[in-house]
Amino acid sequence: MKRREFIKDLALGSLLFKFQPDLFAQGQKFPDLAWIKGESPAQITKEAISSLGGIQRFVSKGDVVIVKPNIGWDRTPKQAACTNPQVVKTLVELSLGAGAKEVKVIDNPCNPAQRTYARSGIAAAAKEAGGKVLFPNPHKLKKMSLNGKWLKEWEVYTDFVEADKIINVPIAKTHSLSRLTMGMKNWLGALGGNRNQLHQKLDQVMIDLAAFFKPCLTVMDGYRILIRNGPQGGRLSDVELFKTVVAGVDYVAVDAAGATFFDIQPQDLPYLQIAHQMGVGEINLEKLKIEKRTV
Amino acid sequence: MKKERSKKYRLIQALRILSQTVFFVIFFYLLLGTRFPGGDYIGRVEIFFHFDPLLALTTFIASRTIFVSFVFAALTVILTFTLGRVACGWVCPLGSIHQAFSFLFKRSKLLQPKRPKDNWTAWKYYILGFILVGTLFSLNLAGILDPFSLLYRSFVTGILPAANYGFSAFIGFLYTIHFFPMGDSLVQFQQNLAVNSVFLQGFFIGTLFIGIILLNLSRERFWCRYLCPLGAFLGLTSRWNVIKLKIDAKKCIECHLCNIHCETQANPFPVKGWKSSECVYCFTCSAICPTSAMEFPIKPKPEEIKKVDLSRRKLIFASLMGLLAVPFFRLSPSTKRASPKLIRPPGALPEEQFLQKCVKCSECMKVCPTNGLQPALTEAGPEGIWTPILVPEIGYCEYYCSLCSQVCPTGAIQELAIEEKTKVVIGLAWVDKNRCIPYDLGTPCIVCEEHCPTSPKAIKLVKTEVKLPDGTIQTPLAPVVDTDLCIGCGICENKCPVVDKPAIYVTSVGESRSERNQLLLDLIKEDSGPY
Repeated sequence: MKRREFIKDLALGSLLFKFQPDLFAQGQKFPDLAWIKGESPAQITKEAISSLGGIQRFVSKGDVVIVKPNIGWDRTPKQAACTNPQVVKTLVELSLGAGAKEVKVIDNPCNPAQRTYARSGIAAAAKEAGGKVLFPNPHKLKKMSLNGKWLKEWEVYTDFVEADKIINVPIAKTHSLSRLTMGMKNWLGALGGNRNQLHQKLDQVMIDLAAFFKPCLTVMDGYRILIRNGPQGGRLSDVELFKTVVAGVDYVAVDAAGATFFDIQPQDLPYLQIAHQMGVGEINLEKLKIEKRTV
Repeated sequence: MKKERSKKYRLIQALRILSQTVFFVIFFYLLLGTRFPGGDYIGRVEIFFHFDPLLALTTFIASRTIFVSFVFAALTVILTFTLGRVACGWVCPLGSIHQAFSFLFKRSKLLQPKRPKDNWTAWKYYILGFILVGTLFSLNLAGILDPFSLLYRSFVTGILPAANYGFSAFIGFLYTIHFFPMGDSLVQFQQNLAVNSVFLQGFFIGTLFIGIILLNLSRERFWCRYLCPLGAFLGLTSRWNVIKLKIDAKKCIECHLCNIHCETQANPFPVKGWKSSECVYCFTCSAICPTSAMEFPIKPKPEEIKKVDLSRRKLIFASLMGLLAVPFFRLSPSTKRASPKLIRPPGALPEEQFLQKCVKCSECMKVCPTNGLQPALTEAGPEGIWTPILVPEIGYCEYYCSLCSQVCPTGAIQELAIEEKTKVVIGLAWVDKNRCIPYDLGTPCIVCEEHCPTSPKAIKLVKTEVKLPDGTIQTPLAPVVDTDLCIGCGICENKCPVVDKPAIYVTSVGESRSERNQLLLDLIKEDSGPY
């Protein structure tokens, strides 16, 4: 290429960029939230991810990925206390398909991990997809500086810090303190120590933790939601078959969307309100670009 | 005189060691397999106990009920009846441990066997008499000294937790020398084994067990020859067995090696001194005999057999002691008032029947997924030492779990299906309002309510006025227990963030199994149930 041609191309290119600024800014093409309804948990998860631009947007070749479901309770999938195993499985499959080096599935549960991992169906499902299902490793607990507004330091499983990408896969449930437990509350499962003491200022803790862990993607399982007696439920009548998955990068927005599952305005949840005021994310659903579909 | 050891008996000895190893491995495999199996129901990991005729007999006499699974114990009796105490020599895992340590002590010259002169072998018969007399009065102390119970209990509460601790330390070491992948996989392995590692009396029971092992420094298989009540029982049934020792007097050089090295002091020499009831058929004597003079031919015709010299006087004395033990072991305030800390596992029989059947084996403590079942010390009185109690500060009763009831080898904890289990009340929770964070500080905390597993929850959150030190009034949500819904699982106590002494705790009142230990009379209850 001659110098003259190069300069000409350069000028042409910059001219084009001046009038078409979003040419390279691909992010603009994608919705803020993918809100998919459908019969199959795996299918709606796949659709949600592809609406957001496909898993390649979040996971690169060679990444170590952590998929963080809620495996907190010794409950079966139908009781909707833990994330739907099919949703978890799909995300493991997709991440591995995008060339992830390894996909770990970890949660520090409330009931014994051996029981919750098995009875939630998550261990089997994630293993089937090729994920590494790991019990929380006490040797990997490390007191870390979280630099939150209130929570300055706490014991964290270092797997979460060492991973290249974190995908948060909560389930939407009621909770008597934060009213709802969704994505941001899910981070308590990445902590060790006497985390029950964190309930004294739970709203701020949730915000501080979410900012620390910075998931690249949040996929909220709303296939079955727990409408009362959360966060464990028990009776099948506590569960509503809602058949929805909401995914997005803005984790505050995802939780805001989840609030509407329960006919609660996002503004009515104090932690979302605080997070919004701090500028962490958007809770006004009207300001968001939402792709809502039924498959 | 040709000096040659018998090849045949050396082979049989090797087979015996193989058999002991195989049975020990089975025992250990079942021991480690006594954990959450991945589903609701576990297989018969407690099967070892059902081959134990001592436990079968004592629970039968003490409780006056027949537990069908113990039918296998008849096999052991038949085996001993026809072949002698081969169960002791070839099968019993505790016997194998003793024999292995005796061997090690002998090899390392810590133990130098001498020609035995004492008649201590009679002790175990007195112990058996003591236990059996107690059972006539429903006092079941067999579990304290029964070899399977002793072994299992010691492994569960002492040896395995100590090993687990060592294993953790080893993994920690791997991490410090940066062997990360190996450390990671060992952690997962350890978590999969799910060994309960916190036991209130782990040190006590573990030390007792090590002490019993160290007795082998004094005599080979000290426990088996002098103390084991099951050995005594089998000794009594083995008198008519068909395998009889025979010494070829022509070959014998009277070296006494057989007597010195006899594992159980069966006195193989001189010719008519052999005590069939003491022989465990380890074949050590015939294998080490330098002239191959010893044989164990099959002789169906009974002949006169030398017995252990049991002093009638001492036997009567032991029986009287057994009689005396009955009121003595029942000196306990629990007859006046139910013990608040005596929280039994779900499915446990009413206390009286429970104590008649429980053999203190710790199967339930091994399988408990939360480590909450602990050996009692004083909570159940002297009679109930090492019986299981739930200590919620350590672990709670998992809602959808009835594993302890499934593994109980005697039916002291009645087998429950999961649906039945969720309805069993083992106690009730009480809020200590002086310590509870919302009641005391006006600060929100819903941890007990969040963890309450029943649906609807037995812990309700109610707005409560709290006066703070500066005189202002706060109205936080504070926990209130609905005693109609509470099943006493203790997860609230276990998870309470008041870290030293939980601000909510469970006591045994209201337990389904007891008629007396109730808070409200049934009449009142019928009117007030809102659910």
